[in-house]
Amino acid sequence: MLSTLNKYRAAFSVGLQSNLVYRVNFAIRGFFSFFHLIVVFILWGSAYAGSPVIGGFSFAQTFTYFVALIVVQFMIGAFNEDYQISEEIRNGLINQFLLKPVNYFAYRFSIYLSARLVTGLLILLPLVVLFPLLKDHLTIPLDGWRLAVGLPALVMSAFIQFGIAYCFGLMSFWFLEIQGLVILSMAIESVLGGQIFPLDLLPDWLFRVSQYLPYYYQMYFPVAIFTGRLNDPAAALAGLGIQAGWVFIILATGQILWRRGLRLHTAVGG
Amino acid sequence: MNFAHYARIWLTSARYSIVRTLMFRGDFFVWALVELFWMTVNLLMISVIYRHTDSVAGWTKYEMMLLVGTSLLIQRFLMGFFWSSIFEMGRNIRSGNFDFFLAQPGNVMFMATTRKLDPDGLINSFVAMGVVAYSARQLGLHPGAADLALYALLVACGVIIHYSMLVLCIAPAFWITSAQGIEGSYFTLSEFSRLPRQAFKGLANVAFVWVLPVVVVSNAPASILLHGFDLRITGWLLGITALWFGLAVVVFHRGLRRYTSASS
Repeated sequence: MLSTLNKYRAAFSVGLQSNLVYRVNFAIRGFFSFFHLIVVFILWGSAYAGSPVIGGFSFAQTFTYFVALIVVQFMIGAFNEDYQISEEIRNGLINQFLLKPVNYFAYRFSIYLSARLVTGLLILLPLVVLFPLLKDHLTIPLDGWRLAVGLPALVMSAFIQFGIAYCFGLMSFWFLEIQGLVILSMAIESVLGGQIFPLDLLPDWLFRVSQYLPYYYQMYFPVAIFTGRLNDPAAALAGLGIQAGWVFIILATGQILWRRGLRLHTAVGG
Repeated sequence: MNFAHYARIWLTSARYSIVRTLMFRGDFFVWALVELFWMTVNLLMISVIYRHTDSVAGWTKYEMMLLVGTSLLIQRFLMGFFWSSIFEMGRNIRSGNFDFFLAQPGNVMFMATTRKLDPDGLINSFVAMGVVAYSARQLGLHPGAADLALYALLVACGVIIHYSMLVLCIAPAFWITSAQGIEGSYFTLSEFSRLPRQAFKGLANVAFVWVLPVVVVSNAPASILLHGFDLRITGWLLGITALWFGLAVVVFHRGLRRYTSASS
């Protein structure tokens, strides 16, 4: 048990080091995310100028939602994990894992965790620097239940984020090029995951449908709990149940794809 | 080196790109779908916002659709005609493959930035035109031939400005070698072009309306279509087009002098 943990701790530490090399790239990316916040601020600020409440929420609540979305994205979002996995399959690097007593999912997940540790900490930097500018437009509810339900939701969101990227990466066993598919799914995720607008502003029936899709639990769900867009503890608990179901389905799909994919895989060269 | 010479070179590149696209039809289909989806995402956002409010900075829903459609149209043309070439330019500078362009029979900037055409972007420009036409219809606009010609001219100016901005975003590769991630800055800037000019106030107005051309690029053609000919707006856009294109040419050639290749 301990030796198993040690194996993945080593992967985690290698991942940490290689991600620290790219800290400047991540910092630049974080910086541009805040440029995106200026767009959000101007667009939604103008929309709110006409009506002080939109969908039952104030401007501060909506703006807080978008700020939290960026922070959560850097903390748990899958950045290019699908691409990395796809590359390892395509150029045969994956072969080494087939010969060693290493679980590929656990190995990749350790690296994902280390990467998110780096980016999650890096995003706090611009946040702290810009806080004096932002603080007048932020409003964070401080109920205890939000933490109790929000944290498990956040952890499960991380599994969904990584799980989807893992499944897309494994598609490379079947397709040569997955970049187009990935970006196509990103477009769907960005809408149904609530990155373009808070999902609760959708027509009611569409909002209810979205609650049964995995995208809802990728980002919107924990963020809505923390920023006060979801205010019913009972509904949040029910959401947690559906989220757990999706985590199971996505991880199981990953396992199936891995087994089926390996059957097709041909290791060439030495 | 005359116009006909460059037109011939461009047509040859275009023909090559189209043949290549026909070889990878599946790819073409997926990427065209990707672009179509992203455009839909933008329009969806407008519809959702206008479900809850009637006006954003004084712009009604279909006025806003017309603005976003115009912005998407400019971006599609940029993607279709220049994106791949300019994006690869950054990598070529790093890898040394840029040498190849120095040996070609024509202006280096022209050769390096117009080599590849992306038919998927160009196909979607028709969808963007459809969005503009639909919004204009909903608004009851009946632009004459002169208005449409002026709109086309201003859209062309917009494409030139975006082209210049993109070249300026990639040109640092001549100095810092790795421009990876910098091209993302262009996309962030282009987000601003989907907002109405009236929404910018204070510092944002100075930065994004006056200093950077991102807002005017889409607002000028849209407002010409909405409110008719305006000498001030037209003059402004023509002026900054010349300015930004000039700047891109100067910076590119300064960078070119720094280029040392990467021979082994």
